[in-house]
Amino acid sequence: MRNISFIFKQFSKSVLLVAGLALCGLTANAQADPAKGEAIFKAKCTACHKIDVRMTGPALGPQLEAETDDAYLTKWIQNNQALIAAKNPKALKIYNEYNQAGMTVFAELTDADVANVIAYVRADWKKLKEDKAKPAAGGAVAAEQGPSDLVIFGLLGVIVIAFIVILVLNKVIATLERLLLNKSGLLVDEEEEAEEKVKGDKLALVKKALKNKKLVFFIVLCGTIAMGSWSWVTMWNTNVHQGYQPVQPIKYSHKLHAGAMKIECQYCHTGAFKSKNASIPSLNVCMNCHKAVKTESPEIHKIYDALGYDPQTQKYDSTKAQPIQWVRIHNLPDLAYFNHSQHTVVGKIECQKCHGQIQEMQEVYQYSPLTMKWCIQCHKRTEISGKGNGYYDKILAAHDKIKKGEKVTPAMLGGLECAKCHY
Amino acid sequence: MDSNKKYWKGLEELNRTPEFVEKNRHEFAEPIPIEEVLSGGGLSAKTPRRDFLKALGFGVGAVTLAACQKVPVHKSIPYLVKPEEITPGIANYYSSTYEGSAILVKTREGRPIKVEGNPGDLLSKGGLSAQAQASVLELYDNSRAQGPLLNGTATGWPQLDKFVKDELAAIKAGGKKISLVTSTVHSPSTLAVIADFITAFPTASHVTYDAVSYTGIIQANKNSFGKAVVPHYNFDKAKVIVSFGADFLGTWISGEEFTTQYVQNRNSKALEEKKDMSRHIQFESGMSLTGTNADVRLPIKPSEDGLAIINLYNALNPAGALPGAKKLTNANADKAIILAAKELQKAGAGKALVVSGSNDVSVQTVVNAINSLLGSYGSTIDLDNPSRQYAGNDTDWLQFVADAKSGAVDAVFFLDANPVYDFYIAKDIEAALSKVRLKVTFSDRADETAALCNVVAPNHHYLESWGDDSAVEGYYTIVQPTINPVNNTRQAEESLLVWSDNAVKSYYTYLRNNWDKNLLAKGGLSGQKGWEALLQKGFINATAVTPGTYNFTLSLGGVAQTILNNSSKVTASGDGGFELQVYQTPAMRDGKKANNPWLQELPDPVSKVTWDNFAAMSPADVKKMGLDEFQVISIKGANGYSVDLPVLSQPGQAVGSISVAVGYGRTAAGLVGNNVGKNAYPFYNLLSGTFQTVSAVTVAKTSTIFPLSQTQTHHSFEGRNVIREATLVEYQKDPAAGSGKEGEHEGFYDLWENSPHDKPVYDWVMAIDLNACTGCGACVVACSAENNIPVVGKDEVGRRREMHWIRIDRYYSYEQNGDAKTDGRTGMVTKEKDIDKLVNFDNVTVVHQPMLCQHCDHAPCETVCPVLATTHSSEGLNMMAYNRCVGTRYCANNCPYKVRRFNWFNYWNDSRFDNYLSNEHTQLVLNPDVTTRFRGVMEKCSMCVQRIQAGKLKAKIEKRPLADGEVKVACQQTCSANAIVFGNRNDPNSEVSKALKSERTYYVLEELNVKPGIGYQVKVRNTLSELQA
Repeated sequence: MRNISFIFKQFSKSVLLVAGLALCGLTANAQADPAKGEAIFKAKCTACHKIDVRMTGPALGPQLEAETDDAYLTKWIQNNQALIAAKNPKALKIYNEYNQAGMTVFAELTDADVANVIAYVRADWKKLKEDKAKPAAGGAVAAEQGPSDLVIFGLLGVIVIAFIVILVLNKVIATLERLLLNKSGLLVDEEEEAEEKVKGDKLALVKKALKNKKLVFFIVLCGTIAMGSWSWVTMWNTNVHQGYQPVQPIKYSHKLHAGAMKIECQYCHTGAFKSKNASIPSLNVCMNCHKAVKTESPEIHKIYDALGYDPQTQKYDSTKAQPIQWVRIHNLPDLAYFNHSQHTVVGKIECQKCHGQIQEMQEVYQYSPLTMKWCIQCHKRTEISGKGNGYYDKILAAHDKIKKGEKVTPAMLGGLECAKCHY
Repeated sequence: MDSNKKYWKGLEELNRTPEFVEKNRHEFAEPIPIEEVLSGGGLSAKTPRRDFLKALGFGVGAVTLAACQKVPVHKSIPYLVKPEEITPGIANYYSSTYEGSAILVKTREGRPIKVEGNPGDLLSKGGLSAQAQASVLELYDNSRAQGPLLNGTATGWPQLDKFVKDELAAIKAGGKKISLVTSTVHSPSTLAVIADFITAFPTASHVTYDAVSYTGIIQANKNSFGKAVVPHYNFDKAKVIVSFGADFLGTWISGEEFTTQYVQNRNSKALEEKKDMSRHIQFESGMSLTGTNADVRLPIKPSEDGLAIINLYNALNPAGALPGAKKLTNANADKAIILAAKELQKAGAGKALVVSGSNDVSVQTVVNAINSLLGSYGSTIDLDNPSRQYAGNDTDWLQFVADAKSGAVDAVFFLDANPVYDFYIAKDIEAALSKVRLKVTFSDRADETAALCNVVAPNHHYLESWGDDSAVEGYYTIVQPTINPVNNTRQAEESLLVWSDNAVKSYYTYLRNNWDKNLLAKGGLSGQKGWEALLQKGFINATAVTPGTYNFTLSLGGVAQTILNNSSKVTASGDGGFELQVYQTPAMRDGKKANNPWLQELPDPVSKVTWDNFAAMSPADVKKMGLDEFQVISIKGANGYSVDLPVLSQPGQAVGSISVAVGYGRTAAGLVGNNVGKNAYPFYNLLSGTFQTVSAVTVAKTSTIFPLSQTQTHHSFEGRNVIREATLVEYQKDPAAGSGKEGEHEGFYDLWENSPHDKPVYDWVMAIDLNACTGCGACVVACSAENNIPVVGKDEVGRRREMHWIRIDRYYSYEQNGDAKTDGRTGMVTKEKDIDKLVNFDNVTVVHQPMLCQHCDHAPCETVCPVLATTHSSEGLNMMAYNRCVGTRYCANNCPYKVRRFNWFNYWNDSRFDNYLSNEHTQLVLNPDVTTRFRGVMEKCSMCVQRIQAGKLKAKIEKRPLADGEVKVACQQTCSANAIVFGNRNDPNSEVSKALKSERTYYVLEELNVKPGIGYQVKVRNTLSELQA
């Protein structure tokens, strides 16, 4: 369903685009080429402008719809400062409206370039308006929940079918066995007798089994082992929350940001290479991009709400600001001191080593057990990367005297001592 | 080597009282009642099957239920908009100023958590006093005012401003006086604000009132040399120092600064380079911190202080001898004065210094005359770059009280002054204030004075303020805020600007203007860049004026007569008559910080008493009056004020005198400081127009006993010889004198021969110079702040459960005069007669020894831990894993140094302890890099392992070896005397390696072969041998 609606959307978009272009061709200057204009627009204007929404600068669609004096516009785009300096009333008005933040001067754009851009903006704005006027493609919303139900039912179905198959197979095996026995002519009577008995005393079989000491011993042994190993594992894993994946207040996807977009970890987690805390990014980091990117998404609006930010006026209202309460996934106990920079900068350990393939996680979960055993294992097995680090020169030399040629691990440098992490 | 000297921590140890012997038999003051259980009904009692099953069932059920508890969900809340300079997990340091000393404030995630000295500070060179260390806790004090009060009810600032402005306008129209009463202000910008205020209200005047006054010195200098200042003293230039009751290493003018100066001529470096040290002779009545450090200390009665100074003058200048000289009661002191005069003259011009703690103008005038004779001016005393630390004027203040009483004052503003508590005639101030129309206090809390004021306009804590300071002429420091105001407070200067309708209403702008206009240029700075450079550095140091020499030319005849007259007024007479001297303790000082639990729990450097003040009497007087230890006596002053205080036998106290500390007995300090001890300010006395700390009192016995929590004999060494001492003469003959290196210990065996502790890279050790340590206790508070050490309160301290990781052991001793019959090893005084010979304990000497975990290589604690909670690291540290500890306390039992501390309670979450750890607000001061410890867990000095780790990490990230001195432990950092050196013994060039190679180095209880990691350097005393002969 989703696909269908998507294809439909794509299709209608292209139809509209063609229609829009045709319309533009009719109305706009014969020389103006919206396609060329689009290229220039994307290269020079998108940093501050959008067609339909106000960003740093005004929303260009409505602006250019209202302003029809192309000569003025060309002058403005090419050198707005000159217009302001000349005290052009229109120029001054908009200059003041936008807190006297001057627009970049584009002296390099020729009149034709500017005309192309204007043509593109007007065409695109018209298309967007028409897009809005059309009712949203139905079904897309309803389809949202479809797949998950389908999966669940599908799974249930598979389980039920598998169960039935097992039962049937069991039955077949039993029938075949009986056939085999019948064929050899053995135990026919006994079985019939037994069957009669079963009817009389349902527990006879159990009673009989209980008399078999070897069987009882075997079952008890199996039970003990099973229970033992179960409790062993459970107890060992008390308070180990490997796989812990709480629901976060914002559906943030590492898969998208770190995976698809390939944003460096430390762009957001600034502390990871500097401090003991990797630190969750503050919202101003999000706003570096999301002031412009995906501004319509309800998840992004959660950021805006938290900041008290109004995307229309682009103003922050700190009285409405409310910090976002993320749920902490990696909970190291207070008694253990862990420093990120020690591991990432000095140890040159990849984030993924402890946090898993974070760039593939839609939602983050605790990848590592975060137990002391896990820490120690790594400290015992990892070779320290001391080459080229002046700090380690003497230390490695001193160490070489004691243990020649062995791989130097943190453990050998005292990395297993209590007070390296507990103080 | 065992010397003939006996060391003891308290008289109970010396006398081996039965209580002491009993208490010291056990490691812990209160044994677990295991004996009772075993012998009594405990084991033989039958446990019915049903009870057993019930208990079992309940246990299983409870455990199951407890286990069912959901793991708590931890929220992680990042900044909305992270300030650029903050990285969570990394501390930021800001330069600021504490009472004129440049400091660095360590903040984590926007909250100040520790105060550290600025290494470039002119005064203390990076050291800090206990009070400064504790000041960060006051920021989070719950007893601080939450907001402004108008007639006792909470109000807002606009309403308050309107009220005060209206009142001021009316008062201005009325034309009566307006008084701004402050304790000494040495901030140039605050002084400018006050001057502006006075311009706006011409009837206003500035009255400087110090609870502890130095008017005597200021007035004497005015009379003698025409300079009404407290001079800047240079103890570093003095070869011979004679002090009459001036506690210059502790509370007198600028203790930290004088400590750095004083130690320069006495520490390892001075001894090794010059083979010489300064000589310090102290005449005083109560044992002060400075007295404990003196080479020669002589107790004199408080009333004879002036007489002693006259005698010294006469000895120095026999030709112009002053009339009225008499012999002192203490014949030894008389002898010492003659010797001191000789020493002073021998030192040479400009190499001697005589100081007096008296606030009597006449006494200080004679002192000036003496210093002039010795040529001190221009060398050891600098009158041209004076100190601004105290400028209180007693006359001005008394004039104000008189004016107010007569109804001539209509408005009064109290800034950093609390006269209702600390003025000696409370009645007068109350009467005076009742006649004043507008009474404003800027106090940060509803203190005693605030109770009588109609406006409380709470001031910021200094860590929330902008400001500046100038403790010494030419030295300017900056105060910058390190946190947003915690409460709804406003800076006092800003209030004054607002109320006087100044053109500049923001104090920050005012400060900037003042610096741009007047001060930046003094440090060769200018403009925005200059301001930023100042904020970065914290201070500017204008080129000092070359101090000029001054000659004393006045006639002293009348002065001497005044001294004798005053002396006779405070001379006690009759039965139960005593001379009472009030003094400041280094921890509590004038009592303004009485609400600070770190300071209350810091044992007094001399008496080792916590959480109380007391009446210190000489053991002879105690015996004469038939008093028991801590028996309460009733002391009645001449003005009728009477107070009940427990008695403390203080060796070294002058016979016939009593010393009581001020700063206690606050009634409105806050939860911590209220009703701790008794107020001693009312014992002040007014003589010749200045406050005197001495008065004649009568003493009566009462039958109550009020036990003090005194830590002196906690953690006993059972008389083992842990102090090593030598005289300078012995040291000059043999640098190893007294260090016990006479080859006594031979053939050590090693239990761990086959598994030695390898320390391939680092071996963290410490060297403590007993000759530099003054015993002030700043390290104890610094350690508490750094390591989240709980405050346990008076009751728990009384049970020997104080938690300090470092303590200063104070040992008294006396020379046995060559009597070697006593059993040296145990240090017991075997002959009863020996004690009797010590009639008045006049000649006791004191040694301070900082004692902390010695990080032994063969640590006795490690071998007895059944769960391996305490182990040895490859860097020579004795590690303590709290979470592994099960609390058997074997380690504490087996530690010969008694430095392990047991968490008897869950101090950070126990309603019985209103501890700073357990309060959500004050918790903010905790160091996030150190865990708080749970009940039932042992703890001890970790050698600030968090700092070692952080230092190593920084070096690793910067790809360079760790430099020596880069990691400083908290106690070392705060020590103005630089008595503690910490570092890597594996590095032969490190400071600590060099220090440990000194011939004076010895290890405490070396003979046990525990191989301690802390080396002490023998105490060397520059004694006056002629005095003993």
